[in-house]
Amino acid sequence: MNFSFSDDQILLRNSVHAALEEQCKPAHVRAMFDDPNGYSAELWGEMAKLGWLGLPFPEEQGGAGLGLVELALVLEEMGRVAYPGPFFETVVLGGLGIMLGGTPAQKDKWLTAIAAGKARATAALLEEHLDWDPTSTAATAARSGAGWTLSGLKRFVPWAHVADVVLVPARSPEGLSLFLVDPKASGVTLKPMVGIDLVSRWSEMRLDKVAVGADALLGQAGTAGPLLESLLRRAAVMSSAEMLGAARRCLDMSVEYAKVREQFGQPIGSFQAIRHRCAEMLLEVENAHAAVYYAAWALTAGAEDAAIASSICKAYVSEAARKVCGDAIQVHGGIGFTWEYDLHLYMKRAKALEPLYGDAEYHRELIARHVSSTR
Amino acid sequence: MDLNYTPEDIAFRKQVRTWLEQNLPKKEIRNLEDRRAWHRKLCEAGYLGMGWPKEYGGGGARPMEQAIVADEMARANAPAPTNSLGLGIVGPTIVVHGTDAQKKRYLKKILTAEELWCQLYSEPNAGSDLAALKTSAVDQGDHFLVNGQKIWTSGGKIADWGLLLARTDTKVAKHKGISCFLMNMRQPGVDVRPLKQITGSSEFCEVFMTNVRVEKSDQIGKLGEGWAIAQTTLGYERGGRALARITNYASHFSRLVGAARRMRRHGKPLIEDPVVRQKLGRIWSEIEVERYQALRTLTLLERGEHPGAGGSLTKLSYSELEKRFMELALEILGPYGQLTEGAPEEFQLEVETAVAEQASWAYAYLWSRAGTIYAGSSEIQKNVIGERILGLPKETRADRVGGKA
Repeated sequence: MNFSFSDDQILLRNSVHAALEEQCKPAHVRAMFDDPNGYSAELWGEMAKLGWLGLPFPEEQGGAGLGLVELALVLEEMGRVAYPGPFFETVVLGGLGIMLGGTPAQKDKWLTAIAAGKARATAALLEEHLDWDPTSTAATAARSGAGWTLSGLKRFVPWAHVADVVLVPARSPEGLSLFLVDPKASGVTLKPMVGIDLVSRWSEMRLDKVAVGADALLGQAGTAGPLLESLLRRAAVMSSAEMLGAARRCLDMSVEYAKVREQFGQPIGSFQAIRHRCAEMLLEVENAHAAVYYAAWALTAGAEDAAIASSICKAYVSEAARKVCGDAIQVHGGIGFTWEYDLHLYMKRAKALEPLYGDAEYHRELIARHVSSTR
Repeated sequence: MDLNYTPEDIAFRKQVRTWLEQNLPKKEIRNLEDRRAWHRKLCEAGYLGMGWPKEYGGGGARPMEQAIVADEMARANAPAPTNSLGLGIVGPTIVVHGTDAQKKRYLKKILTAEELWCQLYSEPNAGSDLAALKTSAVDQGDHFLVNGQKIWTSGGKIADWGLLLARTDTKVAKHKGISCFLMNMRQPGVDVRPLKQITGSSEFCEVFMTNVRVEKSDQIGKLGEGWAIAQTTLGYERGGRALARITNYASHFSRLVGAARRMRRHGKPLIEDPVVRQKLGRIWSEIEVERYQALRTLTLLERGEHPGAGGSLTKLSYSELEKRFMELALEILGPYGQLTEGAPEEFQLEVETAVAEQASWAYAYLWSRAGTIYAGSSEIQKNVIGERILGLPKETRADRVGGKA
């Protein structure tokens, strides 16, 4: 039993932290607000060199063969700086999706390209009704010669506008299947969906009889249900890691501010109204830490409670981040409500992730199913 | 990071489980003598004072082993031993701060429950502000004379001895005038009165002391060190019950889900009500997060590190959770949850609670209100977290300005 990071893990975290502190300052995040791509290709190349883009992939595909605890450490640091770019989408949604369900040829092609920084990926997991249950998929895949024809409407597809490949769930005659789709292919229309976090880019993705080849099918036809569930669990936990980083940043900023901001002739942190709020924020952040790393470990180790731990993680961290980031604005007062002050960068990152990959209520229902079936 | 138990810990757990299966009392524990007998059995098996040094009769065990024994006892619904304050607070205090003579005189008898102990800290006007205590100990040459009143003394009625904080110097700052003593409760001038709580029971007492004698040899540490000693004793709860607590919660939770399955609302089983499901899902996630945190604490302790002010986070977290949990239980159970008598079997809480043995939801609910008050209220824990972990400035307090003690 050892719930602490190894020396290697700490080294990884420190090096990610240092690199992002240097290259992803608030000014960089703000510079991406109006950037058409929304991310820096230079920083992307740097991340490839540092090995982050291939972190969880097998070594034969250019990866580092590490687990989800390591990936969570990287994502927590990214949440901390509100990193603008498709790292999560490429490595978790696209990369882990292909790693979990792809054929050897698909893995060789895509994981290698992703790890080398040459390809970006994402997944189109939501349709208009916003049901995260994969069985709700309405998009269709019809056989057409040796390949397929895909039609449907996907929403909130993150970073599709810069992706080289999008994982698209669709209903084929065999059942739910996953397809690798080039968002620039004919019949695909992308329309930006602009949220409050200007550096989390979403698109509406319309597929109108998009023709794809036989090799676009990820793994076997009709087998995408369990695959999507596994992928969703990983996305839930990894997005929680990012929310944790954003929440910790909001807490740190609040504590620093409460030490120096004076009202009534004293630092506001000396007032119990503020101090107690900060203590509650720390409690939430520490509990969120435990939830994230327990679940990341459980998924990597294939622990018996991995699925329920993932739901517990997302349900807990979504609400913890909501409270901590919201309280941070309250501790700051007026300054926390200004555009110039950086707090909103982190608060909006956490807010953007809160409803994704199942919100707290979605996961609490999964938890309720689990506990009422086992008791 | 590896959250699997080691093969040694798994083997140890099995061994404890087997021992409990073979040795659990067959009959209900009815009185103190029954409990003492059970206590001695646990003691002989080496399951008490496990973390104490071997030279004083302890087991020198790892924190994980202690946590496993407590956890298995919770699983088996085993009766608690007696002398919990002796084992948990007084013994460790004597081990760290006591003289050799004190160690020889007291430790063994704490372990065997030959002498039962209580803690004489809080006073009617010294609760969260414990350092404001007024009970005095006046040097009489060969002994101290103690006068004053203590409150919230758990086990006061059965205690033979008490760990006492008393003021020995009124001229210095209030934290510096307090000393620590071992006080014989079985002497004239000690008047112990049960304090009836909102539960209707009396786990706590008030203790009145009139010209009570404390021997010079029973002073712990130096004069004026009492406050510092008390601060360390509050930190002795070193995760020993970390796993057991969660096991208790989990067992309560299973009972609650079982009850929700039997109850109905608008013609449908309550367990199918989405609102109830959301609330159950929330509490279960909070209980599990508490378990993850327990593993984190145990990792720290196993490495020989002390959680320090982190203990305040742990205490704040579980005591507040317990309150939310019990509130939810009573909400789901409706009037069944308020029964102290006449509850059908499926609406009973058949689990021994940490402190007492009343197996009703109602009792557990009322008792949950105590956890965020005793051993440092939630407000005090938040002050500690704010000042000692986050480094926020101390508040300006009336008793710290103008040089007033």
